[in-house]
Amino acid sequence: MSALLDVRDVVTSYGRIQALRGVSLRAGAGRVTCLLGPNGAGKTTLMMTVAGLLKPQAGQIEFLGKRIAGASPSAIVKSGMALVPENRLVFKDMTVMDNLEAGAITRKDRDKVAADRERLLDRFPRLRERSRQLAGTLSGGEQQMLAIARALMSSPSLLLMDEPSVGLAPLVVQEIFEVIAELKRDGVSIFLVEQNVHMALKVADHFYLMDHGRIAFDGAPQALAEDEVIRRAYLGDRR
Amino acid sequence: MWVDLFQNTIEGMANGSAYALMALGFTLMFGVVGKLNLAYGAVLMVGVYAGVYVHLEWQAGWAASAVAVVLGAVVAGIYVERTCFAPMRHGAAITSMVASFAIWMQLEEAATLALPRHSYPFPSLVEGTVIHLGPLLLRRDHLVMLAVALVVMAALEWLVRGSRFGLGLRAIAENPRAAGFVGRNVERTLFFAFVLASAVGGVAGWLVASADQHVSAMFGMWATFKGLIAAMLGGLGSLRGAVAGGLLLGVVEAHALWLAGPQIRDLCAYLLLFLLLILRPGGLSGQARIQRDAAAYGRL
Repeated sequence: MSALLDVRDVVTSYGRIQALRGVSLRAGAGRVTCLLGPNGAGKTTLMMTVAGLLKPQAGQIEFLGKRIAGASPSAIVKSGMALVPENRLVFKDMTVMDNLEAGAITRKDRDKVAADRERLLDRFPRLRERSRQLAGTLSGGEQQMLAIARALMSSPSLLLMDEPSVGLAPLVVQEIFEVIAELKRDGVSIFLVEQNVHMALKVADHFYLMDHGRIAFDGAPQALAEDEVIRRAYLGDRR
Repeated sequence: MWVDLFQNTIEGMANGSAYALMALGFTLMFGVVGKLNLAYGAVLMVGVYAGVYVHLEWQAGWAASAVAVVLGAVVAGIYVERTCFAPMRHGAAITSMVASFAIWMQLEEAATLALPRHSYPFPSLVEGTVIHLGPLLLRRDHLVMLAVALVVMAALEWLVRGSRFGLGLRAIAENPRAAGFVGRNVERTLFFAFVLASAVGGVAGWLVASADQHVSAMFGMWATFKGLIAAMLGGLGSLRGAVAGGLLLGVVEAHALWLAGPQIRDLCAYLLLFLLLILRPGGLSGQARIQRDAAAYGRL
């Protein structure tokens, strides 16, 4: 597997509390890599560290063969990584259009930006219908679509998604995962943080499980489904 | 009677357009960082003093003085941003405000040391006095003031609503975290917001000083009061509100001056603010925001 993102022995702390205690993982090109783990395991901390919003104390992060640990978030976005943050965080007082424009704010190829925007509005027709509306007036599911579209506006090589299904109704969650499956079919590489193992099993090519700031499991979906501990803890299997 | 009313309204709009520029500066900084910069008036005073200095030292005309005012204000604005706002980016709104008050006093003292006389002459922008337009007598410099202010407002409106810099500014004003996620350099954008506010304020300071043709170190205090009242009338954080607030303040002052004299004029300005804050606590444009906040506090 050719690694798009290669995280090696990364340590990140909040003051004296170590949230990541030496995490190593890889995300391959054209694949969906999924990171599972309970609340407080350090999943979001890892996302923030990879996206440049937190600085690691130790370890190395390589993206497209370049070292990015400690680089600024804007440099990392420019190098081709985009984040769909937890809780969506769309700009609620701005229109859907302006949100999409904000996603492309680091890009210099302005002529291609307009074409990309049209393509995304074709993919998410409900965003086109509401393109002049303020993002705050959209439903939760629509805001999640907007957050995904906003991230795609930077034309990324790798899409980081932090719990895209959290707080959404089951039908909407299904819709989000259909979008993820479509993106995967189109060759978008995705690094997905999720708690919904059932849904993640349908799209992911590789799984990591994180616990207490360390990687506790690393394997294919098949191995995950067969792992006794994971069956009990995540799949609600009471055999 | 009608002629006077009309004449006063135009005079008031000219002064009000300068208030509006100062209110825009206050509101721009408050809108993006959510903190009040009390040193803003002093920053404009430093700019105006820089203009006075080049005028005295090199007999500079209005153009060179104008450049000196704007540059002086920008340099002082950067100083305030670096000392009071950059080191305390997250939270600490009160700390930043108190620190900016200290810098206000510091700048005022420094200006008084550099140019110790009570007041100094400032080069006037246009020679000649008045234009007769039917029964109206219009001050030339006031018309120029109004025109320049309108151009600056239009440019600012375009910058904030129509440019990529403005998109980043609005994104940061709404959600700095999310603005970081899309790759906007928050630190740099905030820095330029302060530079922009100082430059706009510099233009206002230059317009006022060249209309008055003299300046004193009290200019900082005056600018802070006028700008802050206008910004609060409009609703702090709203650009269009700042323009409306500035013009309203100017017009009300002009009528009060004509009817009752200079002491009553200032009284009317405060009375106007008092009434508006009672009737529309969020200012002309910001009522909804205040209610939303009030609702949030109500839940606690």
